[in-house]
Amino acid sequence: MPLVIFVDDSETALASTRMVTSQMPIEVKQYTEAQKALAEIQGGLVPDLIITDLNMPVMNGFEFLTELRKVPALTRTPVLMLTTETKDELKQQGKALGLTGWIVKPFNPAQLKSAITRVLRLPA
Amino acid sequence: MEDEMQILKSVSMLLDHIRAVEEDTINLSRESLLKLSTYLEKNNMVIDDDVAEALQYQDIISQQLSATIEAIDEVQKSLTVFDHAYANDENIAIVSMEKLQGKLGRALTKAQEKRDAFSGKIHQAADADDEIEFF
Repeated sequence: MPLVIFVDDSETALASTRMVTSQMPIEVKQYTEAQKALAEIQGGLVPDLIITDLNMPVMNGFEFLTELRKVPALTRTPVLMLTTETKDELKQQGKALGLTGWIVKPFNPAQLKSAITRVLRLPA
Repeated sequence: MEDEMQILKSVSMLLDHIRAVEEDTINLSRESLLKLSTYLEKNNMVIDDDVAEALQYQDIISQQLSATIEAIDEVQKSLTVFDHAYANDENIAIVSMEKLQGKLGRALTKAQEKRDAFSGKIHQAADADDEIEFF
């Protein structure tokens, strides 16, 4: 099963995404700290999709994305930003860093599942 | 000027109280939601779209309150600087008061910007487009 990594400093946000995706044919790993997810990825973990929050302490979503793109195995791995931020300049910044898409919280569960299905090319 | 200083001290004490209540609210709402989600997951309960959306509100509440706590911290820092300036030289109190006013205004602006940034779609109309944006 494809591996999807969720990164969010909010445990409740992670609980929401975990429950929404629980019936999907994917393996889910979750992290409350981007630097821990990054360390595992740098250590050889290769996810098929990463969904990350933007505003996080220590390492924010953009910093995380920048570091991810330096890992040879992840230069083209899709990364979606799941955030409360709606500003166009932030979306453009994310796009320039190699972001795949932008999801605004609170997300619509059907839309999130559809985005994961589309990015991973899962059977609809 | 003594009376004004007492008022500022009272304001600072009130802000301490508001911060404590907000921190309690963040912690209790998180605990409440985690207990609920643990129960739902343990019993393999499938949630519908409304519940899934409701579960996400705690994150937004927490971010909003954290932003106001940051604003309170900034205001209290400015009040402390003013208090020290006044204690050292009453003559510079008027200048310090003007600086304090500017700092409070900036703290308010920053807090209002964070409110917008951390609101996500909660102020949008129910029928607003919630399509995910792909680049």
